[in-house]
Amino acid sequence: MKAETRNACAAAAVLLALCAVPFLVGKFTTYLAMRIMLLGIFAVGYNLLLGQAGLLSFGHGAFYAAGAYGLGFFGLHVSGNPLLGVAAGVAAAVLLAVLVGTLCVRHTEIYFAMLTLACGMMVFSLIWNAREITGGDDGLIGIMRAPVSLFGGISIPIGKDGQFYFFVLFFFTLSVWAAHRIRQSPFGLALAGIRENARRSEFAGVPVRRYRLAVFVLSGTFAGLAGSLEALLESNARPFMAHWTHSAEPVLVSLLGGLSSLAGPLVGSAIFVAMREIIQRFTENWMLGFGIVLLVIIMGFRGGVMGTLSALFRKATAPGER
Amino acid sequence: MGEPLLTTEKLSNHFGMVCTARDLDLRFERGVLTSLIGPNGAGKSTLINLLTGHLPVQAGKIRFQGREITRLPIHRRVRLGICRSFQIVNVFPELTVAQNVMIPVLARTGRAWNPIRSLSRETAVERETEAFLGKVGLLGERDTPATALSHGDLRLLEVGVALAAAPTLLFLDEPTAGMNPVERVRLLDNIRQLAREGRTTFVVVEHDMDVVFSLSERIIVLHRGEILCDGTPESVRADAKVREVYLGDDVSDLFRYREE
Repeated sequence: MKAETRNACAAAAVLLALCAVPFLVGKFTTYLAMRIMLLGIFAVGYNLLLGQAGLLSFGHGAFYAAGAYGLGFFGLHVSGNPLLGVAAGVAAAVLLAVLVGTLCVRHTEIYFAMLTLACGMMVFSLIWNAREITGGDDGLIGIMRAPVSLFGGISIPIGKDGQFYFFVLFFFTLSVWAAHRIRQSPFGLALAGIRENARRSEFAGVPVRRYRLAVFVLSGTFAGLAGSLEALLESNARPFMAHWTHSAEPVLVSLLGGLSSLAGPLVGSAIFVAMREIIQRFTENWMLGFGIVLLVIIMGFRGGVMGTLSALFRKATAPGER
Repeated sequence: MGEPLLTTEKLSNHFGMVCTARDLDLRFERGVLTSLIGPNGAGKSTLINLLTGHLPVQAGKIRFQGREITRLPIHRRVRLGICRSFQIVNVFPELTVAQNVMIPVLARTGRAWNPIRSLSRETAVERETEAFLGKVGLLGERDTPATALSHGDLRLLEVGVALAAAPTLLFLDEPTAGMNPVERVRLLDNIRQLAREGRTTFVVVEHDMDVVFSLSERIIVLHRGEILCDGTPESVRADAKVREVYLGDDVSDLFRYREE
């Protein structure tokens, strides 16, 4: 109970701080905060698959791209309403995740990882080569941020970055809340059981393959949401969203922040985006610097940033409680 | 007795040239506490693996309460009421004792799919989980991670997870292996008690002959994938073939038989 109250307070404080960001800092930092939230949505959903269910996927960029292109096509051909556009993007990602997931969850571990990688790269080359439809390597350009119209009457503009920021923040909060609920739910416990011992889960009466598909699609949904928001933020959808290097980002971010907590991938996203910005000012090869940090984390601090911090916190408070 | 709980029809299994089950025709009646014994490699574990779906059936049929289950996946059999525990501890290591037992309870009551409701609100599930923990004597360890348990407690948890699936027919594969005498007596008392309650029919694989003869109402002796003897403890004790392969406490007898 005590820990729950503490976590709720921390979450409220972070949310409050995030609300203040566009008023306190400059345009560029606001933009970076949005990038962090997008990666955070992507990673927090992805970590349901990796951290909770123990499945390593290298293909989630495909669902991210599905979200972006889904929103793009919907915006160009049907309606510019951003809420409907996001819904369309997410729907496209879910559809693709069901397709890819059904194929991939028949296998586990390295075979699962390689199948997701293969599927992701197929999606990438489809987007790359279907130039007439997707714009090929130019991507889908000219995606507009029309005002959000609610119930016909009210219309909220999101054209400026300072306005769009709150659009992103809304979905970010929703995503983190959803991921939190899922982790605390019976479904989340069943996933943890599958991660810990898949065979025993079957003997506990859990249809393991169906659960794996469910969490795969769920994580794909988060990826699709992040993708559709990025399409709105950058006004385009690019084939490299589906590339395996992009699929690796939530993996790296989750490892960096820590797999075993909700906050892990979020903190990881913040560090990732901030480090990329800082290191890129000094050198083109920012991956070299990031690689070194990741090396240190994996070799010395297995629990990631959050895992290490909570272990320290426990150590500091343990003697007092006894 | 009426309809048997589970029957097999010419159930067979081979690992390469080694036959671990040969045309087994078995009937398990409701409420009869049965032991499965036999020398190493007799096919006890294979039989359990076949009946519970761990191994695919190569030939023959299995019926459970009149329904054919030969090709059903594991989790479907568990839902119908067939469960097992494992010879080597096979629990959810990083989860707490309570969480270990909660997973089968959630799955059985159809609540495990819920992705939004908080676990702490599932009071009925929690109460049921605690009841099962009480039955195996682990209530005091409910928040301990399984990895931190002693070997004996892990064995209890192993049985607890199997019990929590509330099976009609439960196979226990050497449930007391590696337990100290106190824990062993406690667990066996629990099994007797639960068997008397009558909701679950137990089939136990054991090596300790004292346990086998004191616990069982029926003993099946397997040898090289075949039924050597099947009957009451008295009839099994009196059986000449069984004495030859197995009992009599003389290991050299066993070896001589094998070399023939």
